[in-house]
Amino acid sequence: MKVRKDFIRNLMKIIDSVPTEATSSKEILVHLDRLGIEWYVTKTGDLGIKYWQILSGFVSEEDAAVIRAECPSTPEGSQMDWLSENLQSIQERYAGQWIAIGNNAIIASALTLPELLTLIEDIDNPFITFIPSEPPIWSFTYGIKGF
Amino acid sequence: MVSKDFDHTVPFRQVTNAAGNIIARYPIVVATLIGPTGQRRNLPLLFDTGADVTTLIHTLYPLLGLHSWDEGIAEQSGTANGMTTVYRYMVDLELFGKFIRCPVHLSQGLQANPIFMGLLGRDTIFNEFGFGFWEITQDLYITANP
Repeated sequence: MKVRKDFIRNLMKIIDSVPTEATSSKEILVHLDRLGIEWYVTKTGDLGIKYWQILSGFVSEEDAAVIRAECPSTPEGSQMDWLSENLQSIQERYAGQWIAIGNNAIIASALTLPELLTLIEDIDNPFITFIPSEPPIWSFTYGIKGF
Repeated sequence: MVSKDFDHTVPFRQVTNAAGNIIARYPIVVATLIGPTGQRRNLPLLFDTGADVTTLIHTLYPLLGLHSWDEGIAEQSGTANGMTTVYRYMVDLELFGKFIRCPVHLSQGLQANPIFMGLLGRDTIFNEFGFGFWEITQDLYITANP
């Protein structure tokens, strides 16, 4: 995961932009413009700046996948991750059923939601979803097709 | 100077086909629905700035302690397929560490989908958070202190 020199130079430029010796609001805005930091002033007089800076080319997509996988996830996020990663096999096995997920496993399944709720009555915070029998439509609103 | 910092990051969830190719990526938020008896159930919801009200697939009505999906206040709602009748309820949700009482619609107009059971809409919820939708990094950034 070696970082290129031009990336380090860009990163230092952004870190150096944090302190400013400007003393007036106009000077601060000019300073931000000079550094390429996008800003806006709200109707109530607050200053908004783009706090996040995206620097491309930090690591490869493969390394990025490793780094992102190592980031701590919330319990709810873990349930969603597990469903997303195992969707193919879950669809094959549980089509037409309601399922409950906990601890990276299917903990219950049933043909109706009331039946499922009876099965998981004593379980805290299960993740619930329905696996349709028909193939879901993926290419609407946020689908990547047509991007 | 007010810094609009984000304190939660939700990566877009990707869906792959049998060949392993990515066919869709969605910003999915997991909300905890607190039922009338206090039972907590986690539901995946699609982050949707186009939804006025958080909308759930109608078959989830047992989670709200209802006997049928159409017991609530009938309202008309616009969908991709035209206007449809939805039913309005008030529910308790926990989202990113905040407890929120907000309206939800139950709708027959939502297509069943394994990775989201409804749409996370604006009413009440968007007042409680600030969102940064970052397509290029495939992340949704959230602050609970907007």
